[in-house]
Amino acid sequence: MRGIRKAFGAVTAVDGVDLELRGGEIQALVGENGAGKSTLAAIAFGALRPDAGTVERRGTVGLVHQHFELIERMRVWENIVIGREPRRGVRIDTDAAKRAVRELAARNGLDVDPDAIVESLPVAMKQRVELLRELERRPAVLLLDEPTAALAPAEVAAFFATIVALARAGTAVLVVTHKLQEVLDYADTVSVMRRGKIVAHFASRGVALDEIARTMVGGELPKVAARASTAPVPRVRVAHLRAESGDNAVRDVSFEVRGGEIVAVAGVEGNGQTSLADALAGVLPYEGSIEGADARGVIPQDRLREGLVPSWSVTENVALGRQHARARRGALLDRRGVLQAARAIVERYDVRAPSVDARVATLSGGNQQKLVVGRALLDDPAFVVAYQPTRGIDVGAAALVQSRLMEARNAGAAVLLISFDLDEVFALADRILVLYRGRIAGTFAREDADRAKIGRLMAGGT
Amino acid sequence: MNVRKAFGAPLTALAIVVAGGAVAMWLSGVNPLDGFAALVAGSLGGTGELSETLVQTGALLFPALAVALAFRGGLFNIGAEGQLLVGGLAAGAIGATYGGLPVFGILAMLCASALAGGMWGALAGVLRAKFEASEIITTLMLNSIAFYVASYFVGGPLHSPLASGAETAPLPANLWLPLLVPGTRLSIALLLALALAAALQFLLARTVFGFDLRAAGDAPEPARRNGVDLPRITIVALALSGAIAGLGGGTLVTGALHRFNTALSPGYGYTAIAVALVADLNPLWICAAAFGFGMLESGGLAMQAQAQVPKDVIHAIEGVIVLVLAARRFVATRVEQRV
Repeated sequence: MRGIRKAFGAVTAVDGVDLELRGGEIQALVGENGAGKSTLAAIAFGALRPDAGTVERRGTVGLVHQHFELIERMRVWENIVIGREPRRGVRIDTDAAKRAVRELAARNGLDVDPDAIVESLPVAMKQRVELLRELERRPAVLLLDEPTAALAPAEVAAFFATIVALARAGTAVLVVTHKLQEVLDYADTVSVMRRGKIVAHFASRGVALDEIARTMVGGELPKVAARASTAPVPRVRVAHLRAESGDNAVRDVSFEVRGGEIVAVAGVEGNGQTSLADALAGVLPYEGSIEGADARGVIPQDRLREGLVPSWSVTENVALGRQHARARRGALLDRRGVLQAARAIVERYDVRAPSVDARVATLSGGNQQKLVVGRALLDDPAFVVAYQPTRGIDVGAAALVQSRLMEARNAGAAVLLISFDLDEVFALADRILVLYRGRIAGTFAREDADRAKIGRLMAGGT
Repeated sequence: MNVRKAFGAPLTALAIVVAGGAVAMWLSGVNPLDGFAALVAGSLGGTGELSETLVQTGALLFPALAVALAFRGGLFNIGAEGQLLVGGLAAGAIGATYGGLPVFGILAMLCASALAGGMWGALAGVLRAKFEASEIITTLMLNSIAFYVASYFVGGPLHSPLASGAETAPLPANLWLPLLVPGTRLSIALLLALALAAALQFLLARTVFGFDLRAAGDAPEPARRNGVDLPRITIVALALSGAIAGLGGGTLVTGALHRFNTALSPGYGYTAIAVALVADLNPLWICAAAFGFGMLESGGLAMQAQAQVPKDVIHAIEGVIVLVLAARRFVATRVEQRV
């Protein structure tokens, strides 16, 4: 790719970029939200046409999206062979298709059930399906946009083992990511983007994580807000909670979240986190009791499918969820109040949008997430449920989100953090619960949390 | 956005519609110029013609607004025709038996028509909310039921011995809606429809209910997770939608026909779907679209009478309009995706 330039209206997303991907090499592309990484990847793939510059491709290109592009109501095997279905006469040869999918999965060490309906799968599985769909086409170039955003540590290792094997077999791989540790662990080279330009290119061996991060933000890294000492007060009490959605269930869970503390639920995805979060958010029926959780702010797992109306403006989305409370005046919406609130969030959370009237679908993932977090914390809720609050966002945005959660805690909010990212758990938590197969496998105070032990409990050990 | 972008698409669409209409007329052996001249003269050419166009505009506006309200909530109410019919039936039933003060009589007829249409719509809403029955199917089926129920009443209990066909007794003149233009059929029903359009615009843009409704239509799952009671919205929206369509039926009875029979609507409830979609479900644009379709409804007669354009060609032109505007949407979506 040479001299690539692409503008959306007045915003230049990619501004004169040269990029070369070589067979057998894993190249990482890092940068802040809105630096132009996803746009560049889309151009490399051919989904977007550049305004200027040339793209040369040898062989086919596969792209694994940050927001999965799967047909939710169809089965795994159907999603994978789609467009290239093996046929017997005019009919799809179902047996051959399933066999091919099983072989493909086994060859790449990606275990999936070909007959599962995609919408019933947890995020990590969906991502596996998305990857398999691309691998089925035997691409010469593989583009991965935030591939590990939803994966647990063990899954990340397994995922990259597959990718490294593919690269060694001659595939050129480009990984767009925010997770710098993964860059150092798995990539051969790393390109850093800032404001539409590639500002640095390193061999990842021998470069320090800090140096990449500083190049990304173009200065010093933001610090997470300090933990103030608080005197926790009883707030939320969950007793013998049972709830189930799909194959994700919590079975008899009891715990407390006090005002002025962050309780983190650590665990591998699919161990009941979704049901727990949904029951606490009041959108899933449950047995048992939840007390003190009424004045809550919720940061949902999936900002686009659960949190925001993509076709609406920033302002209207700020009213969403608050339209029966602070954002209403009698039967009418409090438009002035909502507008002020939207401006306050854009300011305080550094949401980069052309204006508060911009459609949310046009914002980058990190900016959407900051909007969701800003809205959840807007009315100083007594209880906050934060499910993977920094999923798929850059270090700067993640630090900002974590800081705001910490500040809410310091100001007396009871915060329940559900995260698959142990670094995040350890950075924020006052207490840690380990969730395994819908039950609490262990509880730790911050002071005597043992990372190795927690890791073992997460995997079902003792 | 520049001027060409803002006006180019609608003008292109209009050009295609005119061209399509011209071809259809030419194929049926009519000089297209004569046809269009008859259309314009017959719909805008004089007080009488313009009034009739506005009568048709009003008649289309009620069901079109009804359709738009439901569609904005993601509910495909195909049943405006049936809701309109039961609304007209309720108004006709009261009008045929009423003996009190005229003002209250008219109000009672209008209220009854809204109530009947509302119940007809709510029925589909309850079936959807409680039993997950597709409102597309139920509203469509309820159209047939409405037709046969109405046929039963005008053929039996409400049948007037004075009438030649199956219809109710004519309303006494004091139960007619006041006219806007004396000597025509244009009544204050049109003003009611325009006020309703403004009210619907306000409801959608400014009220909490409108907000919930749009959220349910645009993104049901985020809506559900953010305090929108989807089953309640479904029932209330279809009830309101039905009430608006039913009220339209009531105004046709008190304002234009002055009796009820099952030929009350020549398919307003179906044409209304096209009107609403053409106007992007925006109540203010719907007023303009209803006028355009109203011209075809009223001018179509003149085209038939003066230029010998077959009625089918007029329907074909309506079809072309819908097709062109559907294509315009498709093109717009494609352009957006490419960005």
